[in-house]
Amino acid sequence: MFREKLEQEFAARRAKNPRHSLRAFAAFLGADHSSLAQILRGRRRAPAAQIRAWARKLGLTQEEAAVYIAAEHVPDEATAHRQHQLRHWTAEALGIVSEPAHWDILRLSRTVEFEPDSRWIAQKTGLTVDQVNVALSRLLRLRLLAIGDDGKWQDLAEQAITERQFRKLALARVRQMAKE
Amino acid sequence: MGNPVVQFQILSKNPDQTAQFYSSLFGWEVDSNNPMGYRRIQTGSSEGIQGGIWPAPPQAPTFAQLFMAVEDVAAAVKKAEGLGAKTIIPPTTLPEGDRMAVMIDPQGMTFAVCRKM
Repeated sequence: MFREKLEQEFAARRAKNPRHSLRAFAAFLGADHSSLAQILRGRRRAPAAQIRAWARKLGLTQEEAAVYIAAEHVPDEATAHRQHQLRHWTAEALGIVSEPAHWDILRLSRTVEFEPDSRWIAQKTGLTVDQVNVALSRLLRLRLLAIGDDGKWQDLAEQAITERQFRKLALARVRQMAKE
Repeated sequence: MGNPVVQFQILSKNPDQTAQFYSSLFGWEVDSNNPMGYRRIQTGSSEGIQGGIWPAPPQAPTFAQLFMAVEDVAAAVKKAEGLGAKTIIPPTTLPEGDRMAVMIDPQGMTFAVCRKM
């Protein structure tokens, strides 16, 4: 980030001259010193136009300035993590809302004829084996299904007796796990 | 026995194309004739480890996971959680008797612990 570059430059100038002030550094850059102070403290980001101008003052090439400008558009790690989490849990919820495969699998698992075999489930539901396995993985992730030591499938959403009730339960589980 | 890496798994948004690509590239054999329809990869060598392909969830990119062998899957999960890992899929027994759990380590990498039959 450009803030680190400014910090390095300021530190280098102070190493040469301990009396070099932030006000003097701001004057060199042609910047407002309180704005520069906020940028250095990480309270605000350097605007792209100023990065270009300041980079020139610091002797950077246009290409180097362009890298710093691009870096300012990349979300920081905390923001990227939040976005990743939001994308993950939204996709889990969307899968539950839009794909009936989850309910189909649980419904079938409650029948006497049930076979714990993705190919058999696919045949019964008209889904592909991959669609069954994506839904199966989601049911396991959301703790709506478990497969025990004996290989038996355990329906953990048995209180849901309709598809509507299942979706409600599953979405509540998504919310709960997202909070955790 | 130690805890060797015993398997790799590719989670792919398009498992058929992934199987096709690596079969064409390396001559790997991919066989999905098993209860989970799991695409098992035979690399054709006794060196290294064998693998598999599983469909990736829509929110994930295509990525690879390592499976580490453990004596007791539940105990390994508990230990990993104590070290800061999170459990994605709790200990689960697969139709042919293998037991596995999928976790995410504190740095965000997913991995699996397993006990083969």
